[in-house]
Amino acid sequence: MRLVGWRNWAAATATAVLLMTLAGCSAGSSSGSSGTGVTTTPPPPVNNVQPVIMDYGPTVNGQFVGFNNTLYTTVTICMPGTTTCQSIDHVLVDTGSTGLRIPASLVTLSLPFITDASKNSIGNCVQFADTTYQWGPIVKVDIQMAGEVASSVPIQIVGPANFAAVPALCSVGGTPAQTVADLGANGILGVGLFRQDCGSACAAGAPPAVYFSCPASGCVAASVPIASQLQNPVWMFPQDNNGLAIILPQVGAAGSVSLSGSMIFGIGTQSDNALGGAQAQGADFEGNFTTTYNGTPYPGSFIDSGSSGYFFLDSTTTGLPNCAANSDANGFYCPASPVSFMAMNSGPNPKGTGVPVSINVAFSIANALPLIDSTSVAFNNIGGPNPLMFDWGLPFFLGRTVFIGIEGQSSAAGTGPYWAY
Amino acid sequence: MRNSFIFLLVFAVTAFPAWATLGGSVESVVTDQSKFHAKRAVVERRDYTIHEITADDGTLIREYVTPGGKVFGVSWTGPTIPDLTQLLGAYNTEFQTALHAKRGRRSSAAVHNPDLVVESIGHMRAFHGRAYLNSMLPSGVTEDVVQ
Repeated sequence: MRLVGWRNWAAATATAVLLMTLAGCSAGSSSGSSGTGVTTTPPPPVNNVQPVIMDYGPTVNGQFVGFNNTLYTTVTICMPGTTTCQSIDHVLVDTGSTGLRIPASLVTLSLPFITDASKNSIGNCVQFADTTYQWGPIVKVDIQMAGEVASSVPIQIVGPANFAAVPALCSVGGTPAQTVADLGANGILGVGLFRQDCGSACAAGAPPAVYFSCPASGCVAASVPIASQLQNPVWMFPQDNNGLAIILPQVGAAGSVSLSGSMIFGIGTQSDNALGGAQAQGADFEGNFTTTYNGTPYPGSFIDSGSSGYFFLDSTTTGLPNCAANSDANGFYCPASPVSFMAMNSGPNPKGTGVPVSINVAFSIANALPLIDSTSVAFNNIGGPNPLMFDWGLPFFLGRTVFIGIEGQSSAAGTGPYWAY
Repeated sequence: MRNSFIFLLVFAVTAFPAWATLGGSVESVVTDQSKFHAKRAVVERRDYTIHEITADDGTLIREYVTPGGKVFGVSWTGPTIPDLTQLLGAYNTEFQTALHAKRGRRSSAAVHNPDLVVESIGHMRAFHGRAYLNSMLPSGVTEDVVQ
């Protein structure tokens, strides 16, 4: 099915398809011969544990450029079907988006841009709520993390000089976040709830401004087959592909200058990724659920490792004073002393029983200014305003195991999209 | 023939109906709406009017208009963020300038200046935002109506 999508789209990668097909044939024939009259044992489980870290981030001209509360990992990308690879460190692990995005300046592999049936390059756009954006062409790579390999995955190359200018429907008057310094990371690894960044909406007529066909006359919004869209690499692994878990240690009230954790692929697929006592709550088709605070439900809430704090409600509703606009903590809350909160996340039962699942979450918000001005970079107690909803950012992941159930993929918890913690 | 061909090209490139700008006159949206055949609904309230424009990709734009015909607030909900240079006009510069003072974090965007307020929230597949001008809120109307 995926191959058909390729042929339609990828004139430029026809050679790669052929090579992949040949590789597949030779692998098939060798395993066939070895299987003659021999009892085969199942292969040993692959290593599914990918290290993740929080630290000062990547460097640009010898200077650290990382932001606070950023989770990083190292991703290896390869020319499809080959061992020609490069590893990229300090890629942001983002459960709020889908797909791998690498700044063009970091890419050393020679990867052809994917083209459509008219031989026009395909541009991809991602926008973030702070009105920053990334724009660039799509290429296909094999993605390696731990012992897992996702083959021939469409990814975005961000901001190459030899590509069409960003369309107004992508930039929308916002600010590019396309360089390592602007992003505070060497790219974004989107491992959220969904298989694709856009999905069926971008494969139908009247697509949103996510994919563009780019003839010389300028880029226009275009429909793109689902298989040609940016993919969550986890669901493309041959195994351990129903989701993942992010496991991070807890930090003290003063934060931490660094920490190490794990991203474990699969849910209940190996001895190291059982759900245990985690409760699973579903999310809607946009990835949202309802958080109830002080008796008021806030639909449109979400969990996002790519957000750098607990961003929720406003100063009036929470009683938390905003930090001074001219301070380093502009955009955060600055209470005189820490304030404790309790809220409840609710979503449908991923097993489809119709009974919603509700999970209480306790957290604390401290004065962000001295923390942000300190040498620490990992905090479990900073937050800021986010009108009428909860954005459970990176602090939510500290001291927890958070499972991400990918849409349409099943585990003992049910069928994604769901969170379990 | 030639003229209509050019018109179709423009339509394809724009791909979204134009709309009135924050602080501007509502007359332009009526012109735009008829030109682009966008779906538009008008909801009359006691002290203001809401113009709702729905794009084919599901994006919903609401414009909040004073009895005098000025756009005092706008909001958006959809899979992507609409063109803020069009929706906020010159006020987008003030919004972006204020955002640049908040660099070094990843979150939603909220700017509360004395007159201009802009809030942009959400994530991939689900964005929402609103903007209003305190100085243009009609008498007896609070900012809460801009949703």
